Amino acid sequence: MVTVARPHFSFYLGNSINLSVRAARHCLIKSGVDMCGLGLLIYTGIYRHKNTGEPSIAALIQEKISSGRTAFDDSTKTQNTFSFDINNGGCGLLTGIEIVHRSLVNKEISFGMTVAGDSEPFHGLSKSFNFNASAAAIILSLTEGSRGFSLFRTYTYPEYSEELVSRTFYSIPTWKKRGQNILNVSQRESYPDLCVELAVKSLYKFLDESGILLKEIDLLIGSQSPLKFTGRLKARLGMNENFVEISQNGEKTFHTAGPAFALKKAWDDDRFKSAKNIIFLTIGSGIKVSVALYRN
Amino acid sequence: MYMNWKCQIESIGVKFPSKTLTTKELLERFKTPCVRKFGLLTGIFEKKVCSPGEDSFSLAVDAANDCLSYSKYRADELDMIINCSITKYKDGLSHLYEPSFSILIMKAIGADNAMTFDISNACAGMLTGVYLAEKFIRQGIIKTCMIVSGEYISNISDHALKNIKTSLSSELSSLTLGDCGAAAIIERTDEENNGLTVSGFITLSKYSNLCTGMQNRNAPGGKMKTRAKKIHQAAITESVPILQQALSNSKMSLNNIKWLIPHQTSRSSILSGANHYLECFGEKPGHIAITLKDTGNTASTTHFLAMYKYLKEKQFSKDDNVMLLCFASGLIIGVVIFKMNDIVYRYGKLN
Repeated sequence: MVTVARPHFSFYLGNSINLSVRAARHCLIKSGVDMCGLGLLIYTGIYRHKNTGEPSIAALIQEKISSGRTAFDDSTKTQNTFSFDINNGGCGLLTGIEIVHRSLVNKEISFGMTVAGDSEPFHGLSKSFNFNASAAAIILSLTEGSRGFSLFRTYTYPEYSEELVSRTFYSIPTWKKRGQNILNVSQRESYPDLCVELAVKSLYKFLDESGILLKEIDLLIGSQSPLKFTGRLKARLGMNENFVEISQNGEKTFHTAGPAFALKKAWDDDRFKSAKNIIFLTIGSGIKVSVALYRN
Repeated sequence: MYMNWKCQIESIGVKFPSKTLTTKELLERFKTPCVRKFGLLTGIFEKKVCSPGEDSFSLAVDAANDCLSYSKYRADELDMIINCSITKYKDGLSHLYEPSFSILIMKAIGADNAMTFDISNACAGMLTGVYLAEKFIRQGIIKTCMIVSGEYISNISDHALKNIKTSLSSELSSLTLGDCGAAAIIERTDEENNGLTVSGFITLSKYSNLCTGMQNRNAPGGKMKTRAKKIHQAAITESVPILQQALSNSKMSLNNIKWLIPHQTSRSSILSGANHYLECFGEKPGHIAITLKDTGNTASTTHFLAMYKYLKEKQFSKDDNVMLLCFASGLIIGVVIFKMNDIVYRYGKLN
């Protein structure tokens, strides 16, 4: 099950924690899974509200959606939820899914949830922050037979680690302005083209390993950032209807929750259910490409 | 079909920053003497703090290199690197959002074949790293994993010094924090008796508001607020059944544990926790590690720092049963139990 959340009103800038809670809560309701049934809750967003360091955002989400209902109690045979955060750039969502998948196949848990969400950490205190405030949640459960995720691979290209660097710097106070921690997202012009190049290279490596041909891919669900990435990748791979793209308004894009927004779109128009071989492809700073195969 | 491999700790590395700050020097920074007997209460008499040129990243890289110096593995033989730090400061107090720290550490140490990602789970970070490494190794996905953390967290004291007015302040715990980097390599093992037992990792989120830390808006670094007494009471009370289950999974009793290494917060809270376990279990472990006298609470690195210290001092013997017990804001409780292996012969020769 996948659900997504955006701010209700366009003038409201959004808060990644509240949006993540909303997406997670809807996901639980729609899937009919009880909070106590979740064995793992992983948050994979990067730009957190107020740059909260501790506790983990996953713990805060857990608290808001469970209202204190989880406790260590073996007598009731309830699942004990373990929550933590992962930071893996644009590939975080797929890393979270892989960890939940490994726990499911090991039969340690019955259900696991991965949540991704981003928003400007402090409103008005950033430069070149072009990500939509958004969040998404995905619940995974164990399937019988060969259905579901079957292969995960990550390809890392550390020589391009300077292409996208996002960090805070402290602006020195002046007589009329207090000092401030400003977030600066610095992206080189070559970054979108490099992302396309490395995504194609990684995808072919992955296809070689999995024994699938490009023409056998029924659906490709991928990252929606950086800007212009999806259009260029789609053209480069020569894909049309089987490439899920979210229409983007203006100069803003979806970051860590992007692949989940694409999944939601394919889920709603039934493309996901009718596809046999589905490829998840995420890309993030580093540069890092994560690819996974999902079979229906 | 997935395998069911076991894993063990292969090597540990630590890096301290160069500067030492005594508790006396720290308390002298208060304009009015509102905190007394801090050293006696916490058991912390000094801690290591970063100087210009040192930060979370440099501590993590130096700890990773120290870890490799004790390891039989080269950097390019590592299959996975997980960075587990709360703080992600690079080039001073500049917080790095992207790319992840782990990819920069991978690049710095030359671990060209490693899969990387960062996790964030407060002071339980490194043990959450062990939890994940064990999962990947057990299923045969990887053979080696480096868990690494660099904590430049003492800067939180600067915010606390400005805001603490009485000894009841919620920022008092911020004064206990010291800086440190730690790394450990977890490897696959064929030896039946040496495997790690990872159990009881749970988030009791109803206590998630008892300790919160975030970036300052108008000053460099971060700030933290803790309701220390409440979080301590919750951790001690709630951990009893988790400990019982972990011991039962390992087919042991508390008596069989030679070394209990809890998260190092303060001497008084560790001792009161130990007394509570004695009342509940009617037995106690051989030794309870308290190593914060000259390092302070080094956040996610405390367990591996304590092990490194004891390995260097040759206090461990082969086959000693060790329990790592983590408490962290969230509230996270987790237990790792293992038997000391040949690692004991590789440390302490220089002393």
